[in-house]
Amino acid sequence: MAAVEVDDLVKVFGSIRALEGLSFRVEDGEIYGLIGPNGAGKTTALRIIATLLLPTSGRVEVFGLNVVEKADEVRKIISYLPEEAGAYKNLSGIEYLRFMASFNAESKDEAEAMVRDAVKISGLGERLHDRIKTYSKGMKRRLLVARALMTKPKLAILDEPTSGLDVVHSFYVRSIIKNYVKEFGVTVLLSSHNMLEVEYLCDKVALIHKGKIVAEGRPEELKTEYKAENLEEVFIKVTSYA
Amino acid sequence: MLRDLKAIVSKEVKELVRDPRILLGMIIVPVIMFPIMGAVMHSVFIQVQESIKEVKVGVADFDHGNWSRVLIENLTNLGANIIEISATDEIQAIQQMQASNLTDLIVIPEGFSQNITQGKKARLKTYSIYTGSGMVESARSEAINSLIEAVKRGWSPDPFTVSENSIVKGKPLPVPPSTLFNLAMSQQIVTPIAIAIIIVMAMQLAATSVASEKEEKTLETLLSLPINRFTILMGKLFGSIIVALIGAIAYLIGFIYYMGSIFTLVPTEIGVDLVELGLAPSPVGYVLMGISLFVSLLSALALAVVISAFTEDVRSAQAIVGYIYPVIFIPMFLLMYLDVFSLSLPLQILILAIPYSHPILAAKAAVTGNHLIAIGGIIYVSIFTVAILYIAAKFFATEKILTARIKLKKLRKPKEKVT
Repeated sequence: MAAVEVDDLVKVFGSIRALEGLSFRVEDGEIYGLIGPNGAGKTTALRIIATLLLPTSGRVEVFGLNVVEKADEVRKIISYLPEEAGAYKNLSGIEYLRFMASFNAESKDEAEAMVRDAVKISGLGERLHDRIKTYSKGMKRRLLVARALMTKPKLAILDEPTSGLDVVHSFYVRSIIKNYVKEFGVTVLLSSHNMLEVEYLCDKVALIHKGKIVAEGRPEELKTEYKAENLEEVFIKVTSYA
Repeated sequence: MLRDLKAIVSKEVKELVRDPRILLGMIIVPVIMFPIMGAVMHSVFIQVQESIKEVKVGVADFDHGNWSRVLIENLTNLGANIIEISATDEIQAIQQMQASNLTDLIVIPEGFSQNITQGKKARLKTYSIYTGSGMVESARSEAINSLIEAVKRGWSPDPFTVSENSIVKGKPLPVPPSTLFNLAMSQQIVTPIAIAIIIVMAMQLAATSVASEKEEKTLETLLSLPINRFTILMGKLFGSIIVALIGAIAYLIGFIYYMGSIFTLVPTEIGVDLVELGLAPSPVGYVLMGISLFVSLLSALALAVVISAFTEDVRSAQAIVGYIYPVIFIPMFLLMYLDVFSLSLPLQILILAIPYSHPILAAKAAVTGNHLIAIGGIIYVSIFTVAILYIAAKFFATEKILTARIKLKKLRKPKEKVT
């Protein structure tokens, strides 16, 4: 069974067609990247998969569960990290993690175990006892990535996980994602406009342009196919053909 | 230097004028609120003028002397419509005055003329019915006092004293109506202002709470969690309810203290039960007032949550919620000076339809003892709140909670954002 199956997905906002028949498939245990420039429709696609938006037409399933009909079931097995998401700035990092864990855990012990994992993943140590408003952007993002992964979701949906971070924090977040997937076999669907990052992280990528997938495959395959040195070059070539 | 200054000033003006909060606070509020307040005050003064156009007063003459006849003639010549009351004593005169639907009575005691003739100071008594209905009532009794003062000036040097009395719930009380009016006004002005401030503050809190979730993108995360969306809405509201409860309790404590302070205005030696006379809130009145304020706060919070859910940031939410303020402040001003039931029927309906009028009406009813008004208000506001909550729940269940965006500059055209 595919972790994510998107078939002919269309999303229209008023006069704007954000997605124009998007189709792709993410296999269980895979890190799959949606790459594209701003406004390509990446966030809209991820929000539909995360049950936040309804598709105008088309079909989306997560581990065989339809995101429209079985939204409540889908929410139990996914974890979504929005782009530039914030956290409650007057809570401490640890309070935030406990608050978020309480919705996924069946018992207090399970919640505490999740928080312990998050503490480890975030690497923020004692700073977790400080209020979030004192965190730098990078620290906040590490906290949020840890929050997204601590529940060991079957599918983690990460929208631009390293957007706006410096080299050190970006490297840390990428390492978390890569290691965590290996350790727990979590499927990750992420979006990025940083093609080099996607090339490093993803098993498979889809290049999205104006709400459509214009190319899909393993990074190495795409580079070979388009005779390009990196995915950035692939994207430029593909979109100029498109 | 002048060119630089001009550039900075130009930038400042653009920034300030384009800021929705400035637009609301400095332009829309004065342009809309003050004309409305002016119209309200105008109607109040028209009513006051109408009420004193013809001063109709009962006169019980127990003296039947020359000077009492002169007094009645002088009052008539000054424009008073004198209704002579025949009674055997003062109590009967008061009863007859009430039976004749008169609101004011002048009692000329026996010996009035004899005292004046002998150069002694005579005594005159006035009784005015006090119902606490507002400025009109006070203006009427003041008009009678003015007429008596005018007669006195013609008879100088100061031939008689006037003892002013009030009739509260059928009982004579040796307190001038002006004292009672001042007492009532101090309640009627402070209460609506305090209530309006609490409601406005609670709405700002609730609006900020929802909008900051959207602005910080914590709402998006929250909505993707395995939680029922109605639970999220209720969580927001219950959080605000706790704040509202604290607000309502703080208000009641402050109000009780305030009432205790101002009752020192009424002489203690009178030995009357102020609650029984309808001059102070009863325990039931306090309870109903608290409940009324609480449900109104709840309704205001629910409305603020719904409205702010349409905005994308705290600034827009606070500004949009600000557009509701005239609906809160207009009844506040109106009910400070007028009895709602003295207004025209359409205006009555309008004021009663505004949920935020009801805690003010309940505060008045707590004093007058007309608990049905408070109970009716509580029921109405509760129904209004349930309706708002229903709309909010429906809204929270859709994707509109994330995609609907109202910007002040584009109020008529909500837009969707594609990323």
